[in-house]
Amino acid sequence: MKVLLWVPFFIFPVLVQSNFVLTIFIFSFILAIAAVSFNLIFGFTGQLSMFHAAAFGIAAYITSLTVSMFRVSFWVALVPAICFTILISIVIGSICFKFKLKAFYFAVVTLAFSELARLIILNWNSVTNGTLGLMVLDKPFVWIPGAGFLKIDGALGWYFLTLVALILTVAVCSLVLRSWIGRCFAAIRLNEDLAETLGIDIFRYKLLSFTLANALAAIAGGLYAFYTGYIEPNYLGINQSLDIISMVLLGGRSSIIGPIAGAFVLTGLPHIIDLSGEARAILYGLVLILTILILPQGVIGTLEGWRRAA
Amino acid sequence: MLLEVIDLTKRFGGLTAVSDMSFAIAPGEIVGIFGPNGSGKTTLLNLITGVLAPTAGRILWKSAEIQGHSPHAIAAAGVVKTFQTPQLFLELSIYDNVAIASHLRLQRQFGMRRLAELLPWRDAARHVAVMQRIDSILTLCRLDGVRDRTAASLSYGQEKMLGVAIAMMCEPELLLLDEPASGLGEDEIRTLEEVLRDLRDAATTLCVIDHKVDFLARVADRAIALQQGLVIAEGAPANVLQNPRVIEAYLGRQHARA
Repeated sequence: MKVLLWVPFFIFPVLVQSNFVLTIFIFSFILAIAAVSFNLIFGFTGQLSMFHAAAFGIAAYITSLTVSMFRVSFWVALVPAICFTILISIVIGSICFKFKLKAFYFAVVTLAFSELARLIILNWNSVTNGTLGLMVLDKPFVWIPGAGFLKIDGALGWYFLTLVALILTVAVCSLVLRSWIGRCFAAIRLNEDLAETLGIDIFRYKLLSFTLANALAAIAGGLYAFYTGYIEPNYLGINQSLDIISMVLLGGRSSIIGPIAGAFVLTGLPHIIDLSGEARAILYGLVLILTILILPQGVIGTLEGWRRAA
Repeated sequence: MLLEVIDLTKRFGGLTAVSDMSFAIAPGEIVGIFGPNGSGKTTLLNLITGVLAPTAGRILWKSAEIQGHSPHAIAAAGVVKTFQTPQLFLELSIYDNVAIASHLRLQRQFGMRRLAELLPWRDAARHVAVMQRIDSILTLCRLDGVRDRTAASLSYGQEKMLGVAIAMMCEPELLLLDEPASGLGEDEIRTLEEVLRDLRDAATTLCVIDHKVDFLARVADRAIALQQGLVIAEGAPANVLQNPRVIEAYLGRQHARA
């Protein structure tokens, strides 16, 4: 039944033929991928990772660099980006989880690694072009039955590409979460000591959650770079991490839909009321504070609570 | 022998919590381990379940050394413990508390075939056998009447019982209970005794650690008395309780002489 919820999104661009609105949706879809995947480690496994934006940014750089250096297609370039993200997640995750870093210690150490990645990209001028960032001129091609290879260029093409990517992310997350893996994540989140005495390998499942979340963020990063056509080191910054956390907290971290709703509100709102960067940061901060104070379960979490009570 | 503890020693700095301890547990029995506070009961339990690594000595599980293995590996091998203060998944229902512990059962039963659960057309709740097992454990632990309530809403006695139910879902061959009777009323202790005997009859070996002597005397087949990290008496509960050293450890020297 939940599949039907996606149908309006496919009809929407036919009804609303405004590039402005579609652009907001495209950004929302891409950031929703980042938020949904972040919620895998944060909301479902209970570990506050500050590396998520870094995984997103690193993958954005690797996809762009691979395309410009080796003249391969976007899809081919996505492979090394995801592989490298998985590799680096395993290394960082192993360090954190072997030393049993929890709560703020885990957050601080992952933040340190994320800053390390940002500083490397910022200072590796010969490859990454430093603060100036990289222009990404290529666009992905998609094979459509009957129409052959189509270049994804206009808003409509990107709308459907990112929508499908979001649906696939949601599908992967929901399949994982309803399986025994999801039960192990929940056990770790709810009571780590008990989970361990029940035979759950904490290290393995935390690492799996962290790696899977980062790998999905890598896809979002690649899409983002190619959609906007430009990447810069700030994509790996703490602000980007905080934006993603705000989306998850606003929407609610107990569901998959929550972060998507959060991504839509926090991406759409600044565009609709036309805010500058600083004003946008203030808005994010306000939304975050109000959500934590008034709706600790997030918007979707609160709605579900009402539905259950009714 | 199911479990053998050989010359086990654990020191915390200058404090020797467990000192050259040796004993064994045979399949199918209920062993009661008791001793006053600070006699090394909980440390011993943490050593067996891998929460702590011993300073010296060996622990054999079915003749294979397990000392120093990680807690989850020891649980997977079939040694599961309950906590002195109940550790539960407070936000979940009673049923889900037990269901979440089906991890080991699925691992043993399906191995990597569990990956099939990830396929969209497979219903994750298809493990009818697992669901039946949850129901039977809830009935066994007298929790079938409250299965849909959240764990946070239980009374202390029920919380302790749920702790046992969660551990039982792991299908332990040896279940270690850390002070299961502490904080319980007389009625609840009687129920606990019944539950423990039912578990034993269902082919689980039990090792109960407690300082409630009369409770252990009723429920245990064999008792082991500890004092300051040493085994001071071992045998039938009635005999152990008559042992002068045990009386001395519990009540002081004057009572031992009388």
